[in-house]
Amino acid sequence: MAYEKSIIERMKSGDSEVDRIDMSTLRYMWLSNPFFAHNKDSLPKFLRDVLILKNFTENELRVLSKYMHTRSFSNGDHIFLQGDPGVGFYFILSGKVDIFVDDKVFEPEASGDLRYVISLIKGDYFGELALLQNNSVRTATATCMEPTSLLGLFKPDMENLINERPILAAKLLQSLSLIVTKRLFSLTSEIAHMKVQLAQYESQK
Amino acid sequence: MKAKNSLPILSRESLRGRFKKERSRLIFFATCLMLGLATLTFLPRLSVPMGIAYILHLILSPLLPWMGRLKINKTISVSILLFIFGFFTLYPIIRVVPLVQTEVGSLHSYMPKIESFITKDYRKYSAILYEKTGIELKDHYVIDTFEFLKGQIKVGILYIPQLLALLFEWMILVPFFLFFFLRDSRMMRNLLLSIAPNVIFERFYFLTHEFNRKLGDYIFAKFIEATLIGSIITIGLSVMGVNFWLIWGIIAAVTNIIPYAGPILGMLPAIVVSFIEYGIGPTFWGVVLLFVIANIIDLAIVFPILVSKIVDLHPLIVVVSVILGSQLLGIVGMIVSIPLAAAVKLLVTEVYKEIYLTASK
Repeated sequence: MAYEKSIIERMKSGDSEVDRIDMSTLRYMWLSNPFFAHNKDSLPKFLRDVLILKNFTENELRVLSKYMHTRSFSNGDHIFLQGDPGVGFYFILSGKVDIFVDDKVFEPEASGDLRYVISLIKGDYFGELALLQNNSVRTATATCMEPTSLLGLFKPDMENLINERPILAAKLLQSLSLIVTKRLFSLTSEIAHMKVQLAQYESQK
Repeated sequence: MKAKNSLPILSRESLRGRFKKERSRLIFFATCLMLGLATLTFLPRLSVPMGIAYILHLILSPLLPWMGRLKINKTISVSILLFIFGFFTLYPIIRVVPLVQTEVGSLHSYMPKIESFITKDYRKYSAILYEKTGIELKDHYVIDTFEFLKGQIKVGILYIPQLLALLFEWMILVPFFLFFFLRDSRMMRNLLLSIAPNVIFERFYFLTHEFNRKLGDYIFAKFIEATLIGSIITIGLSVMGVNFWLIWGIIAAVTNIIPYAGPILGMLPAIVVSFIEYGIGPTFWGVVLLFVIANIIDLAIVFPILVSKIVDLHPLIVVVSVILGSQLLGIVGMIVSIPLAAAVKLLVTEVYKEIYLTASK
């Protein structure tokens, strides 16, 4: 309206005739139109807020979202169980997912209960190792604690991405390797800390 | 972060409701798949061109990303790809068909010569046999065989108009389906995946992807292998100046698709006719040597590099599946038996992993 008003005012005052269309304004108005496909697509907007994808451009996020699948789960549904073969990496679009580990798998003498590990909410991700491993097996159980929507990227999508959009695939693999490196670093520190504790414990004995 | 020790306990009603929802999803998905398969089984006029288009789509789709990298719109790149493919398929057919036609015509006129040769030789050998052993052979087997062959050729000629009509129909339908398979395969796949229940989603997606990749790779490798062997034989025979070189080349290429038995089947007619035509002499041995060399190249170089790595099946399974395929579906069965066996192996391996390896963990 402001644009129209300024044109009318300029025409009334007679200082300048409108002889051509202002293309940049027109383009802005066209792109901000609510029916424009770009604005209806909320997945790239969601991905924009995901921390590990911060080095992606808007267009790359739009392309990446086309390779992903939205899956809906009810409250209490298991997304996967520990020991299941896995091929998917998930982002939480909405809802809440709890991760549990069955210690009996690693230590037969452990108690039968599932150990709660972490709660994940909108914007969090899990299952990234499945994309990087061959014959990957899930190391934990993921359960929805409320109606949940997930955005999944699976091994076949990753293969297609590598073949069709190699630059985008390289960026995604870089992000995934960052996650894995971070985890490896924290694990190494944890093990070093535990070794020190063990040495102290043994010297006290 | 809340501290918890076990999975949340859900009420019986919610559990039943959830199970019902997942079960209804499974039933709906299975029904959709069954309906689709049943439609394809009972409508061969639709399923055959669709199948051909699907296989061609598997061969051609790896080329699309190359065009995508040149920033060409998908519909335009599919159209360009179809045009190039159509040109390279139709042009040789148009060029080769008249040549094959004249060769088939001369082979047809050549038939009485073969007939008289075999009958004459047969009489000569039966006379020798009678002289030496006193056993008299009956003539009707040879005559019956020729009558049968002539009858088959007549039936074939009568079937030609029907075959041409079918080919014409395929020439329209196959490119039509191929265009949409190439352009919209992702959309179609996502539609199917969107109704897949959560319980089987990951496995279903992974298995169908692996199957498609294996089938596409296998068909592409076989296509290259058949073209190579066909070219070697066609060029070799034409250089030697053997009659009907083009027909023997095409037959060798087509039969090469059938594992193990194919090369022998492709070799037989050429060797028999060159024996009749030239007798046991340099040309006959030249033809035999050419086929042996072509098959050695196939077995020692082309097959290990191209095909065996893709399929990775035990020779025993290959032979059994080819026999089963030929028993159930004839020549088509012999051709599709290998990728189908590979698919069954994939499925069985996954089920084995699921049942045994997961249970033992």
